[in-house]
Amino acid sequence: MSGVQVTRATPIGAVPLAESIHEDTTAKWFLLSSVAYFFVVGIIALTIAAKFVWPQLLGTVPYLSYGRLRPLHVNGMLFGWLLPADLGLAYYIVPRLCGVKLWSEKLGIATAALWNVIVLGAVYALPAGYNKGWEYAELPMPLVALVVVAWVMFGINIFATVATRKYQQMYVSLWYTMATILWTTFVYSTGNIAVLFTTGTNQANLNWMYVHNAVGLIFTPIGLAMAYYFIPKTSNTPLYSHKLSMIGFWSLAFVYVWTGAHHMLHGPISQWLQTIAIAFSVMLLIPVWTVVYNFFATMKGQWHQLRDNVPLKFLMSGVVFYLLTCFQGPMHSLRSVNAIVSKTDWIPGHAHMAVLGCFSFFAIAGCYYVIPRMFRTQLHSEALANWTFWFFMVGGLGFFVTLWLGGFWQGWQWNNPSIPFIDTVVALKPVWTVRFFSGVLMFLGIATFLFNILATVVGRGQAVASPKPVAAVTA
Amino acid sequence: MLQKTDKSAIGFVIAALVFFFIGGLLTTVVPPLVDKSWSKPFENTDPSKGPTGKLRPYTDVELKGRAIYVREGCWYCHTQQTRTLLADTKRSGWKGVDSPVSTPDEFVYDSPHMFGTKRTGPDLSRVGGKYDRQWHRTHFRNPRDLVPGSVMPPFPWIANNDDDFNALVAYIQTLGRAKDWRPDHDYEK
Ligand code: HEC
Repeated sequence: MSGVQVTRATPIGAVPLAESIHEDTTAKWFLLSSVAYFFVVGIIALTIAAKFVWPQLLGTVPYLSYGRLRPLHVNGMLFGWLLPADLGLAYYIVPRLCGVKLWSEKLGIATAALWNVIVLGAVYALPAGYNKGWEYAELPMPLVALVVVAWVMFGINIFATVATRKYQQMYVSLWYTMATILWTTFVYSTGNIAVLFTTGTNQANLNWMYVHNAVGLIFTPIGLAMAYYFIPKTSNTPLYSHKLSMIGFWSLAFVYVWTGAHHMLHGPISQWLQTIAIAFSVMLLIPVWTVVYNFFATMKGQWHQLRDNVPLKFLMSGVVFYLLTCFQGPMHSLRSVNAIVSKTDWIPGHAHMAVLGCFSFFAIAGCYYVIPRMFRTQLHSEALANWTFWFFMVGGLGFFVTLWLGGFWQGWQWNNPSIPFIDTVVALKPVWTVRFFSGVLMFLGIATFLFNILATVVGRGQAVASPKPVAAVTA
Repeated sequence: MLQKTDKSAIGFVIAALVFFFIGGLLTTVVPPLVDKSWSKPFENTDPSKGPTGKLRPYTDVELKGRAIYVREGCWYCHTQQTRTLLADTKRSGWKGVDSPVSTPDEFVYDSPHMFGTKRTGPDLSRVGGKYDRQWHRTHFRNPRDLVPGSVMPPFPWIANNDDDFNALVAYIQTLGRAKDWRPDHDYEK
């Protein structure tokens, strides 16, 4: 595990000296813009949650109607907040794991600028009604082309940095980052380009391959790259097992891509393909459990640190949510369970636990950890960071749990055709009300997060940096 | 062998792609080659084999209506698939007659496909001919006027624009109509 230097007990704000060879301009741009988009898109999220409670809300304005804001919410969170936050963190960790500077800071800054153009383009295009009609692939073609260019620029920078690395052995986070770059290229092209040459069921199959792997082979590997880096870092403890991390990685590489068709169980798609998707979905438990075991074993004897280490709180709750989401996933793909939960409100409960509860928690932890370090200052307020955590935790749980219960109940009602459909809509109204107020709590989480980060950056002159001695502990 | 890949970046890249492409190709490129019903439009003239009928391509007006359906994001709330579940065939049914399940050959002219993932509103795979134009006009103006408790958004800019409204309704009336399954060909216009 050469490459991961674990620094000694550092409160969030301390500045390890060893990190001074890094310029980090690219990482700063990516992270700050992603945190800002998190806030803006949070407003959209609240708006669409409110529309379920008050369906007439903003109802006469075409570009603010539900069908146009929902894709803005989903694309905004995925490609405006989470992905660029992960990219920013990758620009931070990869040079450190390689022991060299980022290959080209100029190329990185250009990538960050281009990424902002893409996000702003989406903010215009989606409400205006330019929607290609595929989930997660709504963006118009010119923006898709820019995404591809930005991705190649990111890939070149990371691979070139890896090629010039000082440590021969590559730490797990590097594998996951490199794999994300490779797989995303094909996954994204399938969902955005290959679909153009197909129709109907064939097209849907490609679309679900993309949607499923956007989570499984983009957000999962880049998110795990972060978890593998930040859990040992923030807890100052070496990773439990290199071998387990290999099993986890290669089983993920093999198993994930087979499962797309589980989005169409019982639907108009070949039975044998459904069965393959189910079998591989269940096999997903292998990579998930090995990864989670590795993290828990790393924390053995270190759990007391959770009391006042905010990034670690986010990271370990994220791991628990990862375990839960990835238990739900295989279960939903069993035909009997699927017949109840599929197409219900359970599914947004599940999806939010993955993307918010797990991967966004990892990214928030990363931001809280690296931003004070990059700006060589201390975090504005540890207490406020703790509030961020609890807002997200309580709001998130309120959101997930009510949608599961509500969704399950809804599915149960649908399976009894003597209940008129509209009764199943009315029955869910209390659930949607709780969801909205849970959303308000999560939004407070975003707001305190944004404020804390901005105050850290703006107030960096005042804070007296207190460098601590760095002890390199190599496992 | 994989032990080596954490020292050699090239070895790593090759292995990661090989692992990915095995499943990637087998689940995307192979299925349409094996299963011809994915690309052959539905056609049946023999009542003993199930509902008769023929899938025809969309007209220009219907395509325009479909584009509105895509643009307005109707598909975030409505699915278009009667699944192989008894409850689905009953909910898509008509006057006590269960609807046939959706099959791939009913969708070969669909791009983008509109199967959907979420049913905030009812499935629309057999809604063609369920309501008449006047019903849709009122419904788009304000769904709660017809169905109290509905959370469907109002679409006054569609209801008040004859071209858009006619196109959208023309499209809605095609849904599920390749299979002529209702007794007495009883469909609203
Ligand atoms: C926010 C979710 C939502 C959106 C977006 C939405 N609907 Fe609905 N839709 C519903 C709900 C809920 C119902 C059931 C209550 C009702 O009939 O109003 C419904 C009912 C319907 C029905 C009647 C179905 C039946 O079998 O009775 C049709 C037709 C329909 N919607 C078409 C559309 C079209 C076309 C669009 C886009 C222009 C659209 N909907 C957008 C939620 C939505």
